[in-house]
Amino acid sequence: MYRTFLSWRYLRARLTNLIGIVGIAVAVGALIMILSIMTGFLEETKRTVRGNLADLIVSPAQDAQTSAGGPVPRDPRIALEVIRADPRVVAASARLVWYGLLAQGGQRAGTSRDVLTDTEAGRMMGAQLVGVDVLSFERFGYPLLEGVSRLMGWPFRAPLVQDDFDTTDLLLGLDRDPHPKRLGSPVEDPWNPFAPPRTGADIPGPKRASVIVGEQLFSALRMRRGDELELATVVPDPLTGRVSISNRKFVIAGSFRSGENAMDLERIYLERTELADFLGGGLAFSEILVKTQDYDRHGRALQVDLERKLAERGAIWWNGREEDLGAGGQVRTWEDFRRTLLGAIENERVLMAIMLSLILLVAGFTIFAILTMMVAEKRRDIGILAALGAPPGGILATFLLIGLWDALLGASVGALLGVQGALHIDRIEQWLSGVLGVQIFNRDVYFFDRIPAVVEPGPVALIVGGAFAITLCCAAVPAWRAARLDPLVALRYE
Amino acid sequence: METRTFDPARGGAKHLPAQRPTTGGGQAPNGPLLVVRGVEKHFLLAGAKLPVLRGVDLDLERGESVALLGSSGAGKSTLLHVLGLLERPNAGSVRLDGRECWALSIQERARLRNRAIGFVFQFYHLLPELTALENVLLPAMIAHGRLSYLRNRSKLRSLATQSLTRFGLDRRLTHRPAQLSGGERQRVALARALFNDPALMIADEPTGNLDSTTGAAVLELIFEEQRRRGLTLLLVTHDESVAARCARTVHMHDGRVV
Repeated sequence: MYRTFLSWRYLRARLTNLIGIVGIAVAVGALIMILSIMTGFLEETKRTVRGNLADLIVSPAQDAQTSAGGPVPRDPRIALEVIRADPRVVAASARLVWYGLLAQGGQRAGTSRDVLTDTEAGRMMGAQLVGVDVLSFERFGYPLLEGVSRLMGWPFRAPLVQDDFDTTDLLLGLDRDPHPKRLGSPVEDPWNPFAPPRTGADIPGPKRASVIVGEQLFSALRMRRGDELELATVVPDPLTGRVSISNRKFVIAGSFRSGENAMDLERIYLERTELADFLGGGLAFSEILVKTQDYDRHGRALQVDLERKLAERGAIWWNGREEDLGAGGQVRTWEDFRRTLLGAIENERVLMAIMLSLILLVAGFTIFAILTMMVAEKRRDIGILAALGAPPGGILATFLLIGLWDALLGASVGALLGVQGALHIDRIEQWLSGVLGVQIFNRDVYFFDRIPAVVEPGPVALIVGGAFAITLCCAAVPAWRAARLDPLVALRYE
Repeated sequence: METRTFDPARGGAKHLPAQRPTTGGGQAPNGPLLVVRGVEKHFLLAGAKLPVLRGVDLDLERGESVALLGSSGAGKSTLLHVLGLLERPNAGSVRLDGRECWALSIQERARLRNRAIGFVFQFYHLLPELTALENVLLPAMIAHGRLSYLRNRSKLRSLATQSLTRFGLDRRLTHRPAQLSGGERQRVALARALFNDPALMIADEPTGNLDSTTGAAVLELIFEEQRRRGLTLLLVTHDESVAARCARTVHMHDGRVV
């Protein structure tokens, strides 16, 4: 009983103990906040990147010879058929990715001729042209038709409709509210995004195909929905191999917001068939996006299996070596695509945790210093306790308990502050930015508009446990010294 | 004067829980409470042996008050520490109520010190962070386990309050030692020494730090309690008049009882 009673009384009697408690609280709080934010960054980045990609991406080596003897097919149908046949696959869709040029200025944009004749070369911008399948009519029309046919007794069965909406977060990007500080303008109907816009400038002349522009590009070039946009690109002739220039005018159907900066700054979506036509019809697809039922469970196995099946059907190139299958050549996971980025964030997270653990160590040393001073101060008390019948183990426990109170109070307050701080980090950042007059979190730099924070019980428990372990280790040395103190030397200490 | 037998199973005090006997005592319970035989103690000073106790033999009967007199450096304090189980002798035996004290483990010795021996020091040695009442309760806190103490808390506090009230400190219960006079501190220390109802009280010049009037009052209390409780008192003093109040006087000279 005296151990708890005396340790608590000694803790309250010395103000210096508060320094140790505050030290632990700050260390635990900072560690929890930083780790939660870094975990949030990682999770949010993964989510954004994964959503904008797909679970698996098949990128056949174009023009390479397949095991079937011929070149890799320019049409995605065989590959799609093979992939969709796998029960672990939820959906698969084809994409065509190419690069083009556009002149800055929105409705004032110069034509591609101006760009190419260098009159506006200084204002020229590169753009990633992504041709996607959005089968709006088929998605709604086929089930309707099947329903009518059933009523009429006709033998019509709706074919499988799978498009980019089934494999990626494209629909989410189209439907998302525009960024408050940008001038985005979402498409009129996200389910039918390439429908010609009803609003916007009335452009005379032939009907143009629609494009959807990344919000940052849209905003930077002061575009408006309904504006005309002229794109230029270079296309290799499949027969002669010569490069020719192609340019075409499109109408802007709106903007999309993926949340990934690079994408929002340079990507333009258009219908795959339209892009293929723009490129002269030589290319129909460049990659196939695959959505799996359970990526964490099947992802890697499916990667190998699909690569083998596609190679056997002659849909991708294969050197015939079994060990090369699944090496991330033509069938890659979304993590393979962003390995460097995710690895960098994970590294930062680990480094931050290690560096911030040093604060905890410093707090532990503070406890060590405070308790060492206290043992020196309390030499006489230790002698009295021994004379009254307290065994050395009891004296050790008394001083160890002071460390335990320090850890308990410090870690509890720290955990509370850390968790609350992480959960309200956005408000804290805004308040701090206002007070300091400096923008602490630049929302234009990252994928996301708010500071993401994910509080996981595991790391919080680990940090709190670590704080206890370090504090008790640091308290054990002075407590052990107190227990070994000769009671007579202590009693003579006046 | 009524003499009392120390009960090793209960530790002496009525409020204490029953304990397993620490050693098998070979001595009859009605023999001397403390039997000291051939106790030697030396200290090493710059590699040389400095003998302080040179074969001390001493018996303390139950309920007896004994004054220990001797010049400075005669070995009184060292003998007191050996008998109080704070200092291990180099040779000899110390038997308390038939048990060989220095053959016990550290824990058993600490328990015996807590329950069978009460100390009164010249410099009071109260814990400055605790109130008078808490200082008195400290031996009981050490003796009891957490649950046992909490169960008996109100009873123990009531006992401590009664004890301090008897010593005229009923208005000083919540005062810290720094807020008490020398005489009051020594009375608190006396109440603390007696709280576990020990069989032996060791007082090391208890009035050495007090003026004559206060010292006399404290001595009066010590002897009154000794008589009332029938405990054995070993009192170290330089004062012949104080020694004369004890039933027996033992002189020490050059590390020996003469």
